This record gives sequence, structure tokens and C-alpha cells, in this order.
Amino acid sequence: MNGESLTQAKLKRRQLGLAVVIVLQCVAAVFFVGDVLVDLIQAPLAEHALLELLVTLALIVGIGLNACQLRRMLERMQVQDRALGTARGDLARIVESQFEIWCLTPAERDVGFLALKGLDAAEIAAIRGAAKGTVRAQLTRIYAKAGVSGRAQFAAWFVEDLLDGGLGPAGSNPRGLTKAPIQTERLDQN
Amino acid sequence: MSDHVEPGGRAAPEITQPWDPVVRLTHWSIAAAVIANGLLTKPGGTIHVWIGWAAMAVLALRLVWGLIGPVEARFASFLPAPRAAVSHLADLLCGRPREHSSHNPAGAIMAYALWACLAVMIGTGLVMTGGKSPITIAEEKAAVAAGDWSVLVTENAGDRHGDEEGLGDVAEDVHEVTANLMLLLALLHVAGVAVESRALGRNLVRGMVTGRRR
Repeated sequence: MNGESLTQAKLKRRQLGLAVVIVLQCVAAVFFVGDVLVDLIQAPLAEHALLELLVTLALIVGIGLNACQLRRMLERMQVQDRALGTARGDLARIVESQFEIWCLTPAERDVGFLALKGLDAAEIAAIRGAAKGTVRAQLTRIYAKAGVSGRAQFAAWFVEDLLDGGLGPAGSNPRGLTKAPIQTERLDQN
Repeated sequence: MSDHVEPGGRAAPEITQPWDPVVRLTHWSIAAAVIANGLLTKPGGTIHVWIGWAAMAVLALRLVWGLIGPVEARFASFLPAPRAAVSHLADLLCGRPREHSSHNPAGAIMAYALWACLAVMIGTGLVMTGGKSPITIAEEKAAVAAGDWSVLVTENAGDRHGDEEGLGDVAEDVHEVTANLMLLLALLHVAGVAVESRALGRNLVRGMVTGRRR
């Protein structure tokens, strides 16, 4: 949990790729701008120069759009980081170990955390930049793995742990472990 | 749970915010360009001019990113503040520097100084080459090598104006002095990073390489 999840690593790689493209585009744009300026000074309003000007402008607009997209990606990841960050602490450690017992994937873990924080599928989708349907499917899988009927029971599963086990991680962790078989049994009965 | 700090946990939320990929890429590209053009390439050679133009592009990108980028990359979060910089250096000498979410005040001044030097280098370089792109320079060199010396004639005709020649000489002097100044600043920058890394007990270079601050 101190490391970053797989989805975040993937997101970071994508951001780095986009940044590399932006840098390359900038280098290309500078040469184009220099070329266009020389052409325009030598033969103003020549067709060749005007076409080059158009291409250069298009390139610069493209760089701007890429930069904006990268910034949006960075901001989205920050929001997600912050949302996950506030969920961290003693409770988060219990939740994390339980998620591990339930064999949730890294993406499901992030969604599970956000769901526990009280966000609905649409809000989670907005934060993660994913489709609402994807998040709903992930939630369904999480509930199935946890053996609960839905969101309320999912949240109650952890709250129940806190109410009778106290906040100490040493006390509640083993409880979380002993609880898991009971849950799977219940799942089998269903 | 935010009051106590666990050994493996995070001390303050703001310092975990990483450098974004544009900041990292522009930083290392410019570092590479400075090393290449300051120490390795032949002054005035085609490669030297190529690298200079590429550095111009990267500098332009970084300056635009300083306006539209994320908070840590924006100029607004590290405006030059000489007094804060001096007090930061004093703290550093006492061995207890404060954490900053963007550049620290001394580092910010260094960043602005290096950018100013770069801009001067690029500007004087453009004056010295007559604003010709490296492609044009390479073409001219190829033409001269092939025996067509007409490009040199027009060049000399331009140089005959006393003013322009004077400007070229001044540009050359400024280019050279600024180059040495910038290499000196770069060394100072590296030394500053080393000292601050030791004082903070974490490797600041890693943040600029991987994007993770701790």
C-alpha cells in the first residue's frame, strides 16, 4: 500500500509517453517556425510559405491540445491520490489486508476504497476517468468476492469490525482474517 | 490518523506530489544540451546549432508549462523571492531546511538564473548565425564543400556593414561569457541539490528522475 497500484503505474507511463511526444513536437515546431519565418521574409505570401505556415500553426495548436490533455490527466490522478490518501490510516490498513484476502485486483482495490468513502459509481467513474459501466462491473465483482449483497453490506463489513474490535490495527487485523472464512461460507450457501 | 507519522508513511501530504513528466523531460533535455554544447560539440558547428535550436524548443515548452502546467510546475508557486532564498540557505547551513511543494526559494532563483542564461545563449547564438536554421547552415556548408562559394559572398556582403559586425562581435563575447557563467551555475545547482539531499535525508535527484519524491 506504500507503493502505487498497477493502474497508477500504467497511467504514469502514459503521461510520460505523452510528455515525450510534446517535447518532440516542440522541437519540430521550432524548426518549422524558423523555416517559415525565413521563407516569409524571402518571399512573402508565396503559396509554399503560406502552406508551411498553416502546417506550423496546426502543429502548434496540436501541442497546445496535448499539453492541456496531459494537464487534465495529471489533475485527475492528483484527485484520485488525494481521495485515496485520506482513506489511508489504521482503517485503511485493515481494509487493504482484507482486500488482499478477497483477491481484489489493483483496480478493484482503488474502486473499493472509493466506494467505502461513499462515492457512487458515477463519481468513481469521473475520478478514475473510466466508463460508468466499467466501475459498476468492478463493484459487482468486488461485492461477489466479498460475499456481500451490495454497497451497504460492503461498508458495514468493515464498520462492524471497528465497533467491537477497537481501532488498534493489532486487534482488528486477526479478526478480519478470521472473518473471511465465515464470509466465504455464506457465499457458498447462497 | 493524520497526527502521527508512521516510519514507512508520509510525513506531509504536499511533499509526496511528484514532478510531472514535462518538468522532468525538459530538465534533463536542457541539462544534456548544456553539457553537450558547453563541453562536447564544436562551437559554431552544425551539431552545436542543432542542439541550440532543440534547447530553444525545450525552453519554450518549459516556459509555457510554467503558465498552463500543474500547480508545482507553475511560476506562481515559485516566484523569485530573494529574502526567502537567503533565509532558506541560512536554514540549510544550520542543517534544518523546510520542505517545499515546488522548488525551494533558493532553487527557484537558480532556475530563473539558468533560464535567463539559456535565453541569452540562444539569443546571441541566433545573432551569430544570422538566425539561420541548422538545416540552412548544413546546406550552405554542403554547397561550399561542393565548390559553390556564392553563399559566402552574400554572407561577406552582409558582414561588411560595420554595425552588424560590431553586433556579431558583442554577441560572440556575451555568448562565451554566459556559457561559462551557466556552467558555473550548473555546478552550483548540483552542489545545492547534494547539500539539500543530505540535509533532508532523501535523494532529491530521484524525484527528478522517477517523478516520485520519496
